[in-house]
Amino acid sequence: MIRRKLSLAAAVVTVSALTLTACSGSEEPAADLTSVSIMAPFLEAQPPSADGAVQKKLEELTGKDVNITWTPNSSYEDKTNITLAGSDIPQIMVIQGKTPGFVKNAEAGAFWDLTDKLDKYPNLKTTFPEIQENASINGKVYGVYRGRAPMRAAVMFRQDWLDKLGLQPPKTTEDLYKVAKAFTEQDPDGNGQDDTWGITIPKWGALGTNSPYDLIEEWYGAGNRWTEKDGKLIPSFETEEFLEANRFVKKMVDEKLINPDFATFDGTKWNEPFFNGKGGIIVDVDSRVSVLINLFKQADPANFENKVGFVGNLVGPDGELHAHPTDGYSGFLAIPKAKVRTEAELDKVLEFLNTMNGKDVATLLNNGIEGVNFTVEDGKAATIKPETPEGKAVSTDIKSYAQLGMNVAGNNFYPVKQASDYEQQVFDKRTEVMAEDLKSAVYNPAAPYVSATYVAKGAQLDNIVADARIKYLAGQIDEQGLKDAIKLWDTSGGNKVKEEINKLWQDNK
Amino acid sequence: MAAPVVEAEASGRAATRPPARERKNGRFSVHFAHYKWLYLLLLPGVLYFAVFRYGPMYGVSIAFKDYVPFLGVNGSQWVGTQHFEDFFSNPDFPRLLGNTLILAFLNLGIAFPLTIVLALLLNEVRLSILKRTVQTLVYIPHFLSWTIVASLSFLLFALDIGPLFQFLNGVMGTNIDFLSDPAWFRPLIVLQEIWKNTGWGTIIFLAALATVDQDQYEAAIIDGAGRFRRVWHITLPGIRSTIIVMLILAIGQMLNTGFEQIYLMTNALNRDVADVFDTYVYFVGITQGAYSYSTAVGLFKSLVGLVLIFGTNWLAKRFNQSGLF
Amino acid sequence: MKIHNTTGGRIFDAANYVFLALIGIVTLLPFVYVFAGSFATEAEITRRAFFVWPEQFTLGSYEYIFSTPAFTRALITTILVTAVGTLVQLAFTVTMAYPLAKKMLRGRKLILSLVVFAMVFSGGMIPTFLLVKDLGLLNSYWALILPAAINPFSLIIIKNFFQELPAELEESAKMDGATEIGILWRILLPLSKPVLATFALFYAVGIWNDFMSPLLYLSDNSRWTLQMYLRQVTAASDLLGTGNVDPNYIPPEQGIKFAVIVVATLPILVFYPFLQKHFAKGMLIGSVKG
Repeated sequence: MIRRKLSLAAAVVTVSALTLTACSGSEEPAADLTSVSIMAPFLEAQPPSADGAVQKKLEELTGKDVNITWTPNSSYEDKTNITLAGSDIPQIMVIQGKTPGFVKNAEAGAFWDLTDKLDKYPNLKTTFPEIQENASINGKVYGVYRGRAPMRAAVMFRQDWLDKLGLQPPKTTEDLYKVAKAFTEQDPDGNGQDDTWGITIPKWGALGTNSPYDLIEEWYGAGNRWTEKDGKLIPSFETEEFLEANRFVKKMVDEKLINPDFATFDGTKWNEPFFNGKGGIIVDVDSRVSVLINLFKQADPANFENKVGFVGNLVGPDGELHAHPTDGYSGFLAIPKAKVRTEAELDKVLEFLNTMNGKDVATLLNNGIEGVNFTVEDGKAATIKPETPEGKAVSTDIKSYAQLGMNVAGNNFYPVKQASDYEQQVFDKRTEVMAEDLKSAVYNPAAPYVSATYVAKGAQLDNIVADARIKYLAGQIDEQGLKDAIKLWDTSGGNKVKEEINKLWQDNK
Repeated sequence: MAAPVVEAEASGRAATRPPARERKNGRFSVHFAHYKWLYLLLLPGVLYFAVFRYGPMYGVSIAFKDYVPFLGVNGSQWVGTQHFEDFFSNPDFPRLLGNTLILAFLNLGIAFPLTIVLALLLNEVRLSILKRTVQTLVYIPHFLSWTIVASLSFLLFALDIGPLFQFLNGVMGTNIDFLSDPAWFRPLIVLQEIWKNTGWGTIIFLAALATVDQDQYEAAIIDGAGRFRRVWHITLPGIRSTIIVMLILAIGQMLNTGFEQIYLMTNALNRDVADVFDTYVYFVGITQGAYSYSTAVGLFKSLVGLVLIFGTNWLAKRFNQSGLF
Repeated sequence: MKIHNTTGGRIFDAANYVFLALIGIVTLLPFVYVFAGSFATEAEITRRAFFVWPEQFTLGSYEYIFSTPAFTRALITTILVTAVGTLVQLAFTVTMAYPLAKKMLRGRKLILSLVVFAMVFSGGMIPTFLLVKDLGLLNSYWALILPAAINPFSLIIIKNFFQELPAELEESAKMDGATEIGILWRILLPLSKPVLATFALFYAVGIWNDFMSPLLYLSDNSRWTLQMYLRQVTAASDLLGTGNVDPNYIPPEQGIKFAVIVVATLPILVFYPFLQKHFAKGMLIGSVKG
């Protein structure tokens, strides 16, 4: 009897397994492109409504039924994998980056290779081929990338402190040290107490994530993740400049110019010491400038100007500017083969994307609807004040719709007019500084290349060096210890990563 | 899988039923007719397990494949026990195992009994309003996410300025950074666990306490038994079977130390003691898309859990306690 | 029942009351902070590390999250799904637990072993998703309820509870000609209120807090439950440093985060006090034997 029951249970298991496999193979007939389905992440507190004004306008401009499956960003990858495993696949999937999961699926043939196809579509032909290259997998383009500002690194400081101490904004890393020292030791808030420090750094250890450490290393000339040396690519942490940069940071830690809890400080509270007059410098992306200004504005609308100062990238000790660019993209829009089956269908989907990337739709996705939430003033999109409920709804929704924007040929929409003249000035200066720094950008030469070994254990490998860097700065290990960790990276699989990356690099040169 | 099940079945039957041979022929239909309602009641549940729990069970096979979602379970390449070999031969394996076990035993040894103690303390309160209020309050933290708990911990233990940083270091005459000191990682994790889930855990014991026979108390009071003797001789034995069942289940789950909590409290300085199976799987499995590998680790954890459950259940039976079944 | 108290007993009582009151405060304070923070401005939250009363009171966060019908709709959806789901899951569990509590049931050990096995092993996310899809449950609320219809853990505890009920109860009912279903419905269930209340709570909280099922099974966001929103705003902060964050992303303001937490937890928090009355002492065995 026992055996019978067991085999019955086993039979149930097998039967349902069979049904499953049978069903997942079934296909729907190819539909004519009257409607387009898209899977996209949303990052706001809530997704846009399916019957909102932006949605209607989007369907009007593209002439298609657009079905967007908005998915919370926090679990986007899970949903991506589930979707690919099922048969209900959208025609367009926003992919957030070259995650190992995506690489595996792409290499297994889940997505169309668009390498030679995009140039036919005027709005999909990129004006930044190097960014498209960065977004590719070993030269193969699996999606239309979503362009992002390629230069964002900035040093923000308390302008009022700087003025009080009669200092100049830093231009070099050495200046950064001097300002940090003055902020720490010369009582910049004038309360007579030794209760301030220079730079605030939160818990942010991972390598190659545009962290303050990454920025300073690049300014020192260590390169951007990878760097060319003697005709070979090596990870930037294997350069002498990497060690120099960290000696420099360690000196600041030892002299208490950096918050002592930099290894554990909660990243969500990064603005607090700056705003509360504890730590006067933040090294991060330039958009934080407006976040900080907004905080001061909210606290004291009459007197918020000249609290926040900023400069771009800093000149390194070798007297040169090695500016730190981002990869210039944030994922891409990929087209699954399981849904779009033929070249003819692919062409229609790409035409749709071409429309999406045209001026009209780009303006909709990024600015909203003219006359409802914004008007054009001096070539800028000015928010209509006071906001009507309709205008507000559009402004909220486009924060999510902007996720569908590609802008591979530059921003095809209006820059946003800032709320006040002061903020406009700051914004214009940011644009100017970043454009200037971009000329000295040092890119990651290995960005397009995906090494199999790195896919398999890159995150753990990188933890070895990332942890050692923090331990070294915290004084738990000495420089030899840091060097040993870098060697350990090599021997635990890093040598293989280097080999693979160099081979790909040579092959694609 | 089959072996322990059959064994448990066989030994259980020997203890509680007449020999199988005697019942087997012809008697089943009588038995079934007599208890048809019982079997009918059983049906939806059995169907549920067959469909929703055992139906997807073929998925564990991806532990032996190089699974790519696009290719599907069947289409992915078979790699045998490669993921298990990788896992066990990983130089970090002993460290991960050690960290996981230490944390598991700390949770089991400290957080679990505390739940019972809190339930008993609440049970001793006769002021109904206080009892109800505290019951409700202690269960709130269960609903706050680990992100919130972590950010509160950062606030309380912040270097130099956190209130608990100041208090504890003042009492001990030290200057410890609790958040980065590896020696304090585990106490912090256990403390968080206690804060977040002890109140929630008491619910089941409070329900069990509600069933303890009140007459026995009256009798004990007449015999002149004091407060602690009553708790020891009446209350605790009254909820013993609940305690044992909960303990067995907790032991079966002990390798699941939770990912989010530990991940949030980990930093470069304490990672050596913080890495456990769950965080490791996250790094390998989720950030790197290695579904198969993480399934293999999960399978290993499940096997251990199964052995522990059947083992402790057997032990409980040995000592004449009611087990799971 | 009156219990005579000694001096030692009174001291214990006093100490116990103070201790429990302290614990109550320690567990309540953080939620008060979240509550107060949901009414505060971003500048105040940034300036003050911890507070229980905002200096500058604003409804901005609530206005934001209720600015579209989505959030209200999700709130109603969640309450309905939780209510229906709890009843369904409880029914499934109790009907299976009752026969399993009978030692003479054939195949009982095998079934229990398989239940325990299923508690530890699962097929994983993707096969379960494919099953739900093949059953045609995608975008249906049943997808949030049925795959979790019986929690093995709850099943075993309820079964053990039934097992411990005095057998005389059923025997006398049976002599009166009641069927098993009648016994379960008219005698056992009324006696099991504390246990049923407990597991009603567990199931309700399980559905309420479930995030993965709506994420995987409901793609139409007009059908979403609250956790989808809650998860999104509270998980955002973990992203820093993972290297996979859209640089254009500005995390939601703390106040909004707090407001979402308040809206998503308050309804389930008030659920407990309603169930508490079923936890009253002595209503069970005492009443039976007395």
